[in-house]
Amino acid sequence: MRIEFLDPFVKGAFAVLSQVIADTPERGALAIRSNTFTSQQVTIMAGVNGDVEGTALYGMSLITAQKIASAMMCTEGAQMDDMAWSAISELGNMITGNATRLLYDAGFESDITPPTVLRGSNIEISTKSPTLVVPINTKFGQIEINVAIAETCKMAKAA
Amino acid sequence: MAKRVLIVDDAMFMRAAVKRILDQAGFDIVGEAENGQVAVIKYNELQPDAVLMDITMPEMDGICACRCILKAYPNAKIIMCTALGQQNMVVEALQAGAKDYIIKPFQPDRVVEGLTKVLGA
Repeated sequence: MRIEFLDPFVKGAFAVLSQVIADTPERGALAIRSNTFTSQQVTIMAGVNGDVEGTALYGMSLITAQKIASAMMCTEGAQMDDMAWSAISELGNMITGNATRLLYDAGFESDITPPTVLRGSNIEISTKSPTLVVPINTKFGQIEINVAIAETCKMAKAA
Repeated sequence: MAKRVLIVDDAMFMRAAVKRILDQAGFDIVGEAENGQVAVIKYNELQPDAVLMDITMPEMDGICACRCILKAYPNAKIIMCTALGQQNMVVEALQAGAKDYIIKPFQPDRVVEGLTKVLGA
């Protein structure tokens, strides 16, 4: 896992959140985990494959998810129904899409897989590489970005 | 007469968001589809004036659906609607015959502008 693979996801999150919830988040301290667990009540999981492969997780509390979904749906106090979960899933899709664009600009071409929303903490996620973790603080609460992405063999050999 | 639009996206939220934007802009949303396979069937049934098509979807993706529709209806007007970062897929879709693309998250004006341009309205 190269540290520069984390930045596109953080920048992607900033870009998307500034548009969908009109907020400029603050970046927290970086951490590394050898095992990947969902540490929050809600986790959006999106896959990346291509020149780099792995998983991005965006964790948040249920309250944060509810507030973000409400903002995305232009309503107040939205119920976490199918529509709200779909909005949260789409948030992960847009952040990961932004990140892969930045990875492309850095020379790593990759696609994203449709995101999955996991509910519940302490679920272990199998990843091929250690996970870099950075929390970002938004006006609706914290989102924890977990990125476990590594170059594929083809790219590593070419380097 | 309002232009008839088919919305294709696997995310319920995105279909609702696009529908709201287009309703307000005076378009007639004649149908929705949650994957490419359903989109092809609904296009046959509804013959809309334009399609807003997501790229990454289960069952059949938007590029494949775009090809299927254009094979049967070469004059179909399809706009791809995709997350930033899928530029290769966008190029593939444009090569397949899609008329334009819109990047998510999008501003309502961009959706309306894209459709209006493609429809020549």
